[in-house]
Amino acid sequence: MRKNPDMASAVAAIRTLLEFLKRDKGETILGLRENLTWATDCLTGVDSSVAVSSGGELFLRFISLTSLEHQDLSRCKKVMEERGELFLEKISMSRTKVAKLCHTFIKDGTKILTHSYSRVVLRVLEKAAAEKKRFSVYVTESQPDSAGRQMAEALRKLNVPVTVVLDAAVGYVLEKVDLVIIGAEGVVESGGIINKIGTYQMAVCSKAHNKPFYVVAESFKFVRLYPLNQQDVPDKFKYKADTLKTVQNLSEEHPMIDYTPPSLITLLFTDLGVLTPSAVSDELIKLYL
Amino acid sequence: MPGPDKETDLTERIEAFLSDLKRGGSGTGPLRGSAEMARETTSLLRRITAQARWSSAGDLMEIIRKEGRRMIAAQPSETTVGNMIRRVLKIIREEYARSRGSSEETDQQESLHKLLTSGGLSEENFRQHFTALKANVIEAINELLTELEGTTDNIAMQALEHIHSNEVIMTIGRSRTVEAFLKDAARKRKFHVIVAECAPFCQGHKMATSLSKSGIETTVITDAAIFAVMSRVNKVIIGTQTVLANGGLRAVNGTHTLALAAKHHSTPLIICAPMFKLSPQFPNEEDTFHKFVSPHEVLPFTEGEILSKVNVHCPVFDYVPPELITLFISNIGGHAPSYIYRLMSELYHPEDHEL
Repeated sequence: MRKNPDMASAVAAIRTLLEFLKRDKGETILGLRENLTWATDCLTGVDSSVAVSSGGELFLRFISLTSLEHQDLSRCKKVMEERGELFLEKISMSRTKVAKLCHTFIKDGTKILTHSYSRVVLRVLEKAAAEKKRFSVYVTESQPDSAGRQMAEALRKLNVPVTVVLDAAVGYVLEKVDLVIIGAEGVVESGGIINKIGTYQMAVCSKAHNKPFYVVAESFKFVRLYPLNQQDVPDKFKYKADTLKTVQNLSEEHPMIDYTPPSLITLLFTDLGVLTPSAVSDELIKLYL
Repeated sequence: MPGPDKETDLTERIEAFLSDLKRGGSGTGPLRGSAEMARETTSLLRRITAQARWSSAGDLMEIIRKEGRRMIAAQPSETTVGNMIRRVLKIIREEYARSRGSSEETDQQESLHKLLTSGGLSEENFRQHFTALKANVIEAINELLTELEGTTDNIAMQALEHIHSNEVIMTIGRSRTVEAFLKDAARKRKFHVIVAECAPFCQGHKMATSLSKSGIETTVITDAAIFAVMSRVNKVIIGTQTVLANGGLRAVNGTHTLALAAKHHSTPLIICAPMFKLSPQFPNEEDTFHKFVSPHEVLPFTEGEILSKVNVHCPVFDYVPPELITLFISNIGGHAPSYIYRLMSELYHPEDHEL
C-alpha cells in the first residue's frame, strides 16, 4: 500500500484478500469463509478504517454469492478468482465515473470548500480543471494530521487557486463559498456518511447557510451500519488501531472520524449514479438481500 | 417507389416538428401544453420506428438518439421531448431483452450486486436481429400513447381524496392538470379557490375564468399578496413544467415564493404532475436551466427613456427545492419527493440520461 499511495485502502484490502484466496489451501467453503474472516480481521487490526471493513465485507459477500452458484470447490475458486480480478478492474474505474458525473456541477467562478485530503475529490477537481473551468478552492487544515495541506499541495500542482483555512474557520469562510464537496470513508445505510472529524461541523454550517453539500464516494464504500448518533459509531472506526491496543482510557483520545446524518447531505455522487440520500439504502438492499 | 418516398416523407415530418419546436418556444406559434408536445413526440418516434430503415435494435436506438439530440437542441427548455425519447429508448431495450429471453429487471441497472456477480464488462451491443422486434416496439409505443392520453383523467380521479369540503385551495398561473383536478373535485364538494395571477403573462386570469365557469368560487390575487393571504389557505395545489431528478421542480416563475410562503405557514404543497414531466436532469447542471423571454412584458418598449438606463429580465421558470414539497400526485398515484429517484429508475435507463 505504501508503494501506491493513490490506491484506496479498500482496494488494497480487497487485493490482499484475493491473494489470500488464491493461496488458500482449504477444502471446504466454510473453511474458506472462516479463513477469509480471519484475514479481514487481521487487516482491520492494522488499519481500522471504515473503507477497509466495508471492502472486506463486500468481498465476503461476493464469495458467498459465488459459492451459492457452484458446488464444486475447485471450480468455484477459479470462478471467484476471475470475478475477483474483474471486480478490481471495475472499481479502479469507479473514481473516473464519479469524476465524470460530478464535474458538471462545477461552473466557472465557483468557490468550493472541501475538507482534508480525499483522492476522489481530487480526481473530480482534476477533471473540472481539465475541462478548463475556473474555480477556486478552500481546504481545511484538518488536524491532527494536517492532511489538508497535502490536498492544497496537490491542487497547487493543478494550477488551481487554493487557500488553506483553519478547521475553526469553516463558519467564517462559508459565506464566500458556493458549494461544499467532500469525500467519504464510508457511506452508511441511512444515506449518511462517515468521514474525517470536522465533516459534521461543516455539514451543519452549510445547512445553516443554505449551501449545497455534495459527497463523492465510490460504491464499495457502502457499509452496513446504521448509526443513530455520534456515539453509535463503533470504536474500532473512531480511533486508530494502535490507539485501541495501547490506550487504557479511550475517553481521553480524540476520535478520527465523525458521522454526518443524511438530512444535511444534498446529493451523493457515486459510480452507480447521482443519488439522493434516500436512494442509498435501496442500493444496499439490492446487494445484501 | 414507396421506399424513398416514405423516407422523404419522414424527414419532412421531422423537419416540420423541429421548426415547430423552435417557433413554439419563442412565443410566436400557438402555445402548446406539455401533454400535446409529449404526444406529438411519441407519435413521431413511432413513425420513425415504422418507416426508417434499421436492422437491429442498436441501429434503431442510434437513429432515435440522433433525431432526439436535434429535437432537444431545437428547444432545450421543453423537457418532455427528451423524456419521451428516453422512454422509447427504454422500451426498445426492454423489448430487446424480452426477445432474447433474459430477465429484463435485474440486467438493466448498475448496482453493487451487479458489480459482484456479473461475468464480464457487459457491453450489450444490441446487434442481434429479431423479426418481431419492430412490431413489439410499435405496440409498446402505442401503449405509451394510451397512457399519455389518460394521464389527466388519472390525476383528476384522485382529487376527491385530497380536497375536502369548505377548504381554501391556492394555486398559481394556469395548469391544465390542476384545472381538471379541481373541476373533478367540484362535482362532489364545495370549496374555494384562490388563484395567484402570475405576472407578467397573467395566465392566472384564464384559469380563474375557466374555474368559475364550472361553478367554483374563485378569487384572483396579485403575486405580491401571496404571503398575506397564505394564512387562510388550507392547501396549495400547483402544476409544474418539469420534475427534476432530485425531486425539485422547474415551474413557472413565482412558484418558489409560493412554496416558501407555504412552508412558513406549514401549509401542504401538492404538485399535480404526470409522469412524462419527470426528467433525469439535476438543477445545477446545465446552462439551459433557465429561459428568458422578451422583457417587453415587464417593461414595454414604449417606456423608451428608462430602457437605456435599466437592465430588464423576464425569466420564465423558477427552481423549487424538494424540501418545500409535500406530495407529488401523478397518474400512478401519490409519492413523496424523496421517492422520485425510484420512479426515475423505473422509467429511464441510466445510460440514456445523456443522449
